Amino acid sequence: MNTHFIFWDINVWADGALRLLMITGLMTVVAMGLIYLERKVLARFHQRVGPQRTGPLGLLQSVADALKLVGKEDLRPTNADPWTFELAPYLVFIPIFLGFVVIPFVADWQVRVLDLGILYFVAASSLTIVGWVAAGWGSDNRYAMIGGLRSAAQAISYELPLVLSLLSVGIVAGTLNLNEMVQGQSAVPNIVWQPMAFFIFFIAALAELNRTPFDIPVGESEVVGGPFVEYSGIRWSMFFLGEYAGMFIMSILAGAVFLGGYEWPFGGELGRGWQVVLVGVKSSIFIFLVFWVRASMPRLRIDQLMGYAWKVLVPLSLVQVLLNGAVLVYGGPKIILTVTGLAGIVFLFWITDRAVSKPRVRPANPAMQTEAAS
Amino acid sequence: MASEMLPDEEYEVQDLLLNVGPQHPSTHGVFRMVMTVDGELVKDVVPYIGYLHRGAEKLCETMDYRQGIGFMDRTEYLAGHNAELSYVMAVEKLAGLEVPERAQWIRMILCELNRLSSHFMFMGAFGIDVGVFGTPFIYAWREREAIIDLFEEISGDRMMYAYFRPGGLAWDVPTNFVQRVKEVLVSSKTGIKDFDGLLTDNEIFRARTQGIGYISAEDAIDYGMSGPSLRGSGVPMDVRKDEPYLYYDQIKFEVPVGKNGDVFDRYICRLEEMRQSVSIIEQCLEHLQPGPIMPERMPRMLRTPPGEVYVRTEAPRGEYGVYLVSKGGNRPYRLKVRSACLSNLQPLKQMSVGQYVADAIIVLGSIDIVLSEVDR
Amino acid sequence: MTSEQPEGAQQPTASLDTTIWAEVDRALSGITVTPEAGVLDLIVTIPRDEVVRGLRALKTDAALHFDYLRCLTAVDQEADGIDVVYHLYSTTSKHNLTVKTNLPNDDLFVDTATTVWRAANWLERETAEMFGVRFRGHPDPRTLLMPEDMDDTFPLRKDHPLAEIEILQGEGMGYTEEDSE
Repeated sequence: MNTHFIFWDINVWADGALRLLMITGLMTVVAMGLIYLERKVLARFHQRVGPQRTGPLGLLQSVADALKLVGKEDLRPTNADPWTFELAPYLVFIPIFLGFVVIPFVADWQVRVLDLGILYFVAASSLTIVGWVAAGWGSDNRYAMIGGLRSAAQAISYELPLVLSLLSVGIVAGTLNLNEMVQGQSAVPNIVWQPMAFFIFFIAALAELNRTPFDIPVGESEVVGGPFVEYSGIRWSMFFLGEYAGMFIMSILAGAVFLGGYEWPFGGELGRGWQVVLVGVKSSIFIFLVFWVRASMPRLRIDQLMGYAWKVLVPLSLVQVLLNGAVLVYGGPKIILTVTGLAGIVFLFWITDRAVSKPRVRPANPAMQTEAAS
Repeated sequence: MASEMLPDEEYEVQDLLLNVGPQHPSTHGVFRMVMTVDGELVKDVVPYIGYLHRGAEKLCETMDYRQGIGFMDRTEYLAGHNAELSYVMAVEKLAGLEVPERAQWIRMILCELNRLSSHFMFMGAFGIDVGVFGTPFIYAWREREAIIDLFEEISGDRMMYAYFRPGGLAWDVPTNFVQRVKEVLVSSKTGIKDFDGLLTDNEIFRARTQGIGYISAEDAIDYGMSGPSLRGSGVPMDVRKDEPYLYYDQIKFEVPVGKNGDVFDRYICRLEEMRQSVSIIEQCLEHLQPGPIMPERMPRMLRTPPGEVYVRTEAPRGEYGVYLVSKGGNRPYRLKVRSACLSNLQPLKQMSVGQYVADAIIVLGSIDIVLSEVDR
Repeated sequence: MTSEQPEGAQQPTASLDTTIWAEVDRALSGITVTPEAGVLDLIVTIPRDEVVRGLRALKTDAALHFDYLRCLTAVDQEADGIDVVYHLYSTTSKHNLTVKTNLPNDDLFVDTATTVWRAANWLERETAEMFGVRFRGHPDPRTLLMPEDMDDTFPLRKDHPLAEIEILQGEGMGYTEEDSE
């Protein structure tokens, strides 16, 4: 069985392998670029200049860092569980890598088109949590363990609003196939119909990626890097690579699902080169937002994080799903969705503001207090 | 179900013992606390200090009064001027020295500037404690840098100034002092305003700090807390107001106090205090007149009559006291530094038990400890 | 000074009148007190058997209300034993008092003040390890700044020597005390 690969017809399996190989290369380069970009962007937020000595404009900084990390000793604590400890970086890295299979970079170019593309993506990428917990547990370090368990709680909670927001877009688009979904946005991108879903997706994606303000599992000031605390050298850099690759894939997905991916809303077919530029711009917006939040937001606490997921995001995204279903079944005009979505965002802001503007002195466990006083 | 499968005698539920420090990004130095953690809740905190104990008090007993000044800088490295002030005032009180007016005003200006720089340091470090990636830290650092630069121009050193002397100052300030202080104040004002946007008005920051680390006014007094950490609980105790030293009685300023005694109130007290400091410095600049900076008749070797004195001043972190016992001669018989941080650290257990692990960290941050002052 | 020893009340110099001695004397009735006018604050000396009782009386007295323990430390008086010094402050009436008590060298103990102010806890731990003073009834008698096993040397006592200053850079770099004077 042969398939078309760029210019030649080759075996399907060889084609898949080649495409995955290309993805791997792309992923590494993009992750390194993102590290450089993040450092530059954060530096500007900090009124610094960021890396500038290594290569022109400091462009080679990530390369130098990567070389340094590869050259470092790969340490394993004596009491660490050897298998769990050493496999954990792969368990984080591979699921993200698998998620790339369905991502439509440009028209007709992804590894595979799956009809349940979104479902596959969500299923694959949520497996990273196994790696995080394995890293936390296998390190035999209490900070790592707390970090790993925090990460599990967080990822499970935020998986729900993430999936539900993608699902509500799926209802509007009428498909879970990412390619069809992008092509369906040639006139109007989905964000117009589903503004609140995009908002929820963005928040949940931040949590999934363990970025500020949801970087609780890796909180530097509390658990000192969380699951990664015992890792060094190449294994640590694999976690890092996984983190930035995750950010890359999330941004492309956000671009494809909400912003129209490679489609240009003002009509006219675009060449492949312009499509790449378009996808790049759309995902850059998302990535810049992530950096921006990182530079300005403090970290949430674990109970606030969980409360926000279960009390605010999950109910709101469920309402969105129900509303989408109702509008489509009973055939209301689609503009209702836009209006309700915007109203939902306002409600989201209001309820968040209300939650923090009415502080309560949390009554600490009285049994504990008396215990401490005695 | 687990209890059916696992025999009780082999498996028991234990609390996790989490050792924070001495090397930990959030302990602000070499401080160690052993937390007993039940899930994410802190059940017990046992602080350990003393990693930075250098015996400054003992060393001062072997050196003459002038040499002791340098040790005071090193006990309180973020507010060296304030620490020196307590010490030189103690020596002056014992020796009966009259300090010229100009020297006093310059001392006030420098102490308040040092309070500004120390609080900027707190703002930045606290921003990192609550988890902002560096932005408040670097903003704070920029303003602090301007002040430190000014100190360097005056004393020749950025942290260990050794600029105050019993009787006055080591030398007069540079001729462009007033203008330079005004420049620094302009940038500091912008910096203070920046923090309103960076931290105070941030929803997450408020959610993280309000209602956390509560301590009542009575408990705070009973534990001997002082400075903004005490005023956050609503006790308007400030040595500058209650027992004015230097010329604080000629200056108009307010003592900001909190209401709730939580982390946020301790933070906001410091922020308000910075505004007050700016206003104090501006008033001091108006009073500053040319004149001598040392008494006309200073003995070559400073000797004190026998006696003892306990001098306290309001340092950025609280009351910095120096208890000086003299048996005559040119060196202290006994010197005791009353550290504000040591007393502020005592109720750490009470403030953090029952909170989350992440809160225990910011409770520690809100006390604004300098470990070299705690351990001396 | 108590009412039983009226001749002691004449001893204080005129400067005591400007202090809070009258009130302190009233609050400490029944306790042997010796006043002395310090440079800044009034200094009273109480025998060690009565010191904690006196401190509690000073704290609970409505007019004085010494609710704040500024500092607690000790001074090694060599042959005369060790003085334990309490610096008190009242947050409401804003006055200061120094309380001293003398411990003989052969029997260094005093009752703990942690029952009066919790602030005394760490300060007493520090004083205990630095001077070898035993605070009877202290709830947490561990070392504070010193290593846990360092319970036989007391660094701030006058008989504790400072280590010889090591001269690292050869004889030429070293200097003796005569040179520096």
